[in-house]
Order: sequence, then C-alpha cells, then structure tokens
Amino acid sequence: MYQNNQRGAALRYSNKMELLIIDNLRKGFKKHKVRAVDDVSFSVFKGEVLGLVGESGCGKSTLAKLVLRLLGADKGSIFYKGKDLFNISHNDMRKTRKDLQIIFQDPYASLDPRMKIGKVIEEVYDIYKNVSENNRKSKTIELLETVGLGETYLNRLPSELSGGERQRVGIARALATDPEFIICDEPVSSLDISVQAQILNLLIELQKRKNLTYLFISHDLGVIGSICDRVMVMQSGKLIESGSCENVFKNPQHQYTKTLLESALLR
Amino acid sequence: MLLHIKNLKINYKSDNRPVEVVRGIDLDIDKGECVGLIGESGCGKTTAGLGITKLIPERKGNISAGEILFEGRDVLKLTSEELRCIRGKKISYVFQEPFSSLNPVFTIYEQMRESLEEKDNPDSRIAEILKSVGLEKIIDRKNIYPHELSGGMQQRAMIGMAIAPRPNLLVLDEPTTALDVTVQRQILDLIMELKNKMSLAILFISHDLRIVFNIADKVAIMYAGKIIECGPKEKIVSSPAHPYTIGLIDSIPSLKHRKKLFNAIGGRAPLFSELPEGCKFYPRCRFRIDKCSEKEPELKDVSGGQASRCIRTISAELRSATPIKWNY
Ligand SMILES: Nc1ncnc2c1ncn2[C@@H]1O[C@H](COP(=O)(O)OP(=O)(O)OP(=O)(O)O)[C@@H](O)[C@H]1O
Ligand SMILES: Nc1ncnc2c1ncn2[C@@H]1O[C@H](COP(=O)(O)OP(=O)(O)OP(=O)(O)O)[C@@H](O)[C@H]1O
Ligand code: SF4
Ligand SMILES: [Mg+2]
Ligand SMILES: [Mg+2]
Repeated sequence: MYQNNQRGAALRYSNKMELLIIDNLRKGFKKHKVRAVDDVSFSVFKGEVLGLVGESGCGKSTLAKLVLRLLGADKGSIFYKGKDLFNISHNDMRKTRKDLQIIFQDPYASLDPRMKIGKVIEEVYDIYKNVSENNRKSKTIELLETVGLGETYLNRLPSELSGGERQRVGIARALATDPEFIICDEPVSSLDISVQAQILNLLIELQKRKNLTYLFISHDLGVIGSICDRVMVMQSGKLIESGSCENVFKNPQHQYTKTLLESALLR
Repeated sequence: MLLHIKNLKINYKSDNRPVEVVRGIDLDIDKGECVGLIGESGCGKTTAGLGITKLIPERKGNISAGEILFEGRDVLKLTSEELRCIRGKKISYVFQEPFSSLNPVFTIYEQMRESLEEKDNPDSRIAEILKSVGLEKIIDRKNIYPHELSGGMQQRAMIGMAIAPRPNLLVLDEPTTALDVTVQRQILDLIMELKNKMSLAILFISHDLRIVFNIADKVAIMYAGKIIECGPKEKIVSSPAHPYTIGLIDSIPSLKHRKKLFNAIGGRAPLFSELPEGCKFYPRCRFRIDKCSEKEPELKDVSGGQASRCIRTISAELRSATPIKWNY
C-alpha cells in the first residue's frame, strides 16, 4: 500500500508536475477537541500560485505547519517532488528544507529577539551553504533592498523595527535560500498598499522568472484575486470549495464563500 | 479635550546616532471620538501611539520635545507611579503583533482576569467580553494558552483584554490586520458600539484606508514622521488636499484588477536617514514644482477643519489633468 502511494506520487510529480501532494491529512488538538485540519487532500502544481482563504481559526496556519513538518500529523501523507515527507532520509529532508520556505504570519514570534537583522539572514547561508563567503554581505543587502529596507537595517534588532519592517525581514529571509516553493502565510497583511504592491509584484516577478510555486494564505480577496491562479476555500478544517479564481469569484458555490465575497465588495 | 498633543518629537538611538522618527505632530482627541492615523509602513505611527504614555524604553529612545495633556494633566511630567495608573487602565492598548504582548506562560483566562477593573465575580464579565469579540468558543476553555489560538483569535483576545478595564482612551494599533473581512466587520462594529455606549475615545492606527474610512470621525495622515493632512473624515474622503492622500485613495485595490496590484503613488517612502530637503514627498509627487524642494511646507488650513502640508492647491481639474504613472 505504502509502496504504491510512493510510486504513484513520484509518477504524479514527473508526469503532471504535482510538486506537492497532500493526501487525507488530519491534525487534531486533543486537549481542546478541535480538528484543525480535517481530511484535507489537494495538489499544488509546479509554477502555480495557489490561494488559500478561510475564516480566522479555520486551520490555514496549521496546514502550513504540517507541510513544513513543524507539527506532526495524526493521519495522511504529504509528498514533495514525489518524496514522502513522513518517511524521508535525513539528506533528502535537508534539501527539501532549502527548497521549501515559509513566510510566517506573525513576524514577531518567528524572529529571534536577540539576533540582528543581518545575522537573521546570514544564518540561512550557514545552514544551507548556498552563498559563497565573499558574496554574503552583498547578497544580504540586496535582499533587504528588494523588500524596501537598506543597509542601515543590518545591525538592528527585531524590536528596533516597525511591524511592517519585521514582516519584510521575514520575506527576505525566506528568499535567502533561493527556494522553489514558498508558503506565504498572510505575508503582506500588515503592509500598506504601496509596500504591498512592491512586495507582491516582487513575488510575482520572481515566480515568473524562476518558475517558483506559491501556496498563498490570505484573508484579503483583493490580494488573492490579484496574484493567484487557483483558490481553495477552507472552513472548520475542511476544504469546501476550490477552482480558478475567475470561477470562484464569479460563481461561488458555498455560502461562506459568498459571504466572504459580499463583505469584501461592501467596502 | 480628552487628549491634546502638541509638537511631539521622538528620537530613536540607532547605531548610537539619534534618528528623529516623530518629527513634531499635533493631535487632539475628544471624548467619544475616533481618530484614524494612517501612513505607510515605517512612517512612525506606532512610535507616536507609544509616546502618548511614554512607552518608549529609555535605552531605545526618548521624547525630545512636545506636550501631551491627558484629561488636563501633563503626561510628560507624571511620575512613573502615576503613569502606571494611567497605562492599561485609563489608556489601554492593542499592540500591533498580538503574540508580542500576550504572555505565553499564562492562560488567556488568567490574563483576562488580570485586566478586569473589578476582580469579584470575573467569570460572567469574562464570558461577556469573549462573546463580544467573537471568541465564545473558548468561554468554557479556561486552560487555553495564547499559542493554542490562531493569529486572528489572538488579535481578538488582545482587543478583549484592552476593553476589559473600561478605559477612556483606547489605542488600537493595526487591530484587524490578521482577520478576514467577516470578522473584521464584527470587530469594527464592536468598536463602534463601545465608542457610542461608553463614550470611549479611540486612536485607530492603520495602513488600510478602507478600514479607517469606515470607522473614524477624524483622519490624520502621516508621512515620514509628520502629519501631512488631517481633518474630518467626510472632507478627506470627498476632497483630499495632499498629493500623498490622493495617491493613497487612488491605490485602493478592487476585485476588478486581475493579476495586477496598483501602487498609484510610485516609488518608496524615504528612509529616515536619507530624508530629502524641502517637502519630504517631493521625489514621489506627481504635482511637484521646483519650489517644493526649497523648504518643508507648513500644515495649512484648507477649509472646514481640514489642513494640508502642501504649497500647491490640488484642484479637481489639476488632479485629472496630471496623469498617474501606474507603477506595478
Ligand atoms: N498548538 C495548538 N494547540 C491547540 N490548539 C491549536 C494549536 N494551534 C492551533 N490550534 C487551534 O486550531 C485551530 C486552527 O488554528 P490555525 O492557526 O490553523 O487557524 P488559521 O486558519 O491560521 O487562522 P487565522 O486566520 O486566525 O490565523 C484554532 O481553533 C486554534 O485554536
Ligand atoms: N528601537 C528602535 N531603534 C531605532 N529605530 C527604530 C526603533 N523602533 C522603530 N524604529 C524605526 O522608526 C521608524 C518608525 O517606526 P514605527 O514602528 O513607529 O512605524 P509604523 O508607522 O508603526 O510602521 P508599520 O506600519 O510598519 O508598523 C521605522 O523606520 C523604524 O525602523
Ligand atoms: S509641496 Fe510640492 S512636492 Fe510636496 S506634496 Fe505639495 S506639490 Fe507635492
Ligand atoms: Mg493563521
Ligand atoms: Mg506600527
């Protein structure tokens, strides 16, 4: 059974470019009797931008953490490039970690408060050895500049940045490994429209230039509509609707999707 | 006047050089009034909000000038004991990143109980608060810790804790960023209701114009550490005077544009270490003339309580005759 799945996933990756395959994934938090991710299955194709929307607390971040193995699943499987992430050699997992990055929802919680911004980014090169000694500093400054920060930020601590600036450091850090697949968990929610536009346009440009793949979590339908090809809607741990953005926005099937669209347009 | 701020200036010590990030702002908030403070990331909104109760740690920076009167008392002259009586009780905060201000080792219930103004019979009051912020799901779960809540639930817990002591002034710093529109609506309605029922005054800090236009009575727009336009909301919505405000309004996204995000302002906000001479908005302004770069404009009255820091009068004709360079 397991052999079949593994072989099937490898074929699905090589034939149909299903970069990430999620199969019947489940995660509950027993203490509070919630099933945060409830038998979820879907695929992400190489080079696509897949949106994930859903109300607060429906399980989006939990799903992201499961894919990155920051949390253990109760049931189900995850295949990345045809490899079973729950059953993978140490070496392969290392490679996968470099390829697969996340931009966290809460930048404050994900940055070490004692580590200077320059170090936050350079630490990544120490782990993945993807940048030569000579290029470290210039690459770091370049990354900071692409997110609208500059050299003056190198020696600052996270607490010495504004909220939106911290969020941008998280983005620069995710890009530092030259990843292939990025899970973006509300990556621009605390940024104003002009910075949002810069960052999203940067993400879109990178995606086109390097054929990157994104799973893009957001509650902002305007943002989802402007960057995603497909969108999935989640409610109480379950995927309740999915399709191309055009179809879902024009023709929502589920009541929750309709409410979401109505309240978005009301503003 | 509940809160009166005059010429407030705040410095940070960055690499041991002081950098002024709040460069002289005036702000008045009346009882029962909601003032929206808008501006791009890094322009000094949070710093200004923290300054109201002297929350800038001394080793990080200081208030270098200005006057803050709260209920007629000069905040900058209060002892730390007196300040503590105001902070978190008369003036309460919802900070930008919820996780940074929730204590990870105490349960939500314990932290909620701590912030109540009267300690007897806390359960019914806590239940009432949790319900009003849409967290009825956790009323019966007294053993729930902050990390066990989703980002949006943490944000709502923070709002609950801030209103628990029945403050006179509530400073909300990006309170709804992590929330989807349906919950956002619910929180905004709650804030409006509290405002009306308790004549609560609110400073609502946000980068999202749409939300501020929904909730505020007065709006102040900040750019590079100064207020560049302020006035009654209706005026700002119908006839924005400053080119930066006009750019913000033109950038509001809609579902109509697919595969594009518009930045009608273009360019980037300047770093505080590299502020231009004259008008700080000059490099990005589509209405600029040579004279603008000579000296920083004063905040001048436009009409009916609206004021703008711009030397030109941007009429509707001029606005439509000057094309936006769409930058996306
Ligand atoms: N470590 C944990 N322990 C217990 N329960 C948890 C834990 N993490 C999340 N939960 C619960 O799982 C559910 C889903 O949380 P999750 O963070 O995935 O939501 P989300 O969809 O990302 O929401 P938001 O948009 O508010 O960030 C919530 O009910 C939350 O309380
Ligand atoms: N402790 C500090 N030391 C040095 N500079 C700081 C410190 N804290 C903040 N700054 C700088 O001060 C400026 C204003 O920061 P502030 O947090 O007030 O911005 P903001 O308007 O709230 O932005 P955002 O919308 O991104 O939260 C930023 O440029 C930031 O880099
Ligand atoms: S003063 Fe000049 S540069 Fe500044 S906002 Fe007005 S028109 Fe633009
Ligand atoms: Mg989340
Ligand atoms: Mg801020």
